[in-house]
Amino acid sequence: MKAIATWILVVAMVLTTANAVSAKGDDFNSVVRMIEQFYRVKHVGIPFLAKTGMKVGTTVARIKGGQARRIAEAGSIKLAVFEDQDFNGDFTKFRASLNEAMNATWMPLIQTLSGQDEEQVYIFLRDAGDKINVLVITIEQRDATVVQVTLSPKNLALLLKDPEGTGKAITQEATINDQE
Amino acid sequence: MKPLFHINIRTALIAALLVFAPVLSAKAQDSRIQMSSLDHLAAKASQTIDVNIDQRLMLLAAKVFDDKDEDERQIKKLITGLKGVYVKSFEFETEGQYAAADIETIRTQLRGPGWTRLVNVTSKKDGMLEVYLLFNGDAVGGMAVLHTDDKELTVVNIVGPVDVDKLAKLEGQLGIPDLGIQSPKNKTKNEQ
Repeated sequence: MKAIATWILVVAMVLTTANAVSAKGDDFNSVVRMIEQFYRVKHVGIPFLAKTGMKVGTTVARIKGGQARRIAEAGSIKLAVFEDQDFNGDFTKFRASLNEAMNATWMPLIQTLSGQDEEQVYIFLRDAGDKINVLVITIEQRDATVVQVTLSPKNLALLLKDPEGTGKAITQEATINDQE
Repeated sequence: MKPLFHINIRTALIAALLVFAPVLSAKAQDSRIQMSSLDHLAAKASQTIDVNIDQRLMLLAAKVFDDKDEDERQIKKLITGLKGVYVKSFEFETEGQYAAADIETIRTQLRGPGWTRLVNVTSKKDGMLEVYLLFNGDAVGGMAVLHTDDKELTVVNIVGPVDVDKLAKLEGQLGIPDLGIQSPKNKTKNEQ
């Protein structure tokens, strides 16, 4: 009886530690909600974006059939866009909350904050077997985007060599204007 | 009746090890310096860059860089054995936005056992450059670079076997800023 009780206690202690670092559900949606709550803004849905002239990368990938050089794996793009809204708030507090929330499952690669333009860029990585998930969050004065993509090892090398430039390219690729 | 939760010392030790092992292993990276004390400067800075490439990412990077690509082969060679690259860089609009105490939080760590300042490394850029190596016996276990200017503060911390030449070649790669590092060997070469 004593031995069983002891091991129950040991297992409980280990499980408590494991739970503290376990994954947190759908992080893409959590990040979108976090931005909405922190800045009191609302993101624009994809059907609305398509109507107003912006198409998501998954559509472009299907049309171009891989002719254009792509960074993200076809069909892997998740996108949320916030347009023409005020992103007023203490970005250092937002950054701290974001890092705390992402810490369990995502690896922060690079974070840049520009006081002049009030632009924040966060790039997180997550292992996805042979490939890697990348989450790029860009917040500017009036707009923001959250993009999640899957990268091949080749394109991950690009990202690691030039995190800032490739991160911007991922966001640009995910939000391609219809008029190009 | 015996108490239900009577734990002998051995079992308690095993439990403690299971619980604290991850914490202890994280602390073992002694060439990793703590830079979070500088985070408050982001609110004053016109530009902040924060790079975190930990051991998991380093291993991943070593796998994805292609040997067939000359550029990637070079980077792969340079990062082999490294356990992390961490950068914090702040640029300010005006002078006096960071205090001596801010730099002191970094320098205090670099006065710890094993750390040695290299006096013969210079930078092409303006400002003051301090380069420190952590020696574990004869082997280099890590490096820290502190670059300060009136309107700029940059700290680079590389965990693992690294030298100044390696750092100079890694500038502009993996989010490491271009610090204009001139190693003693390069300097002599340029002067000739």
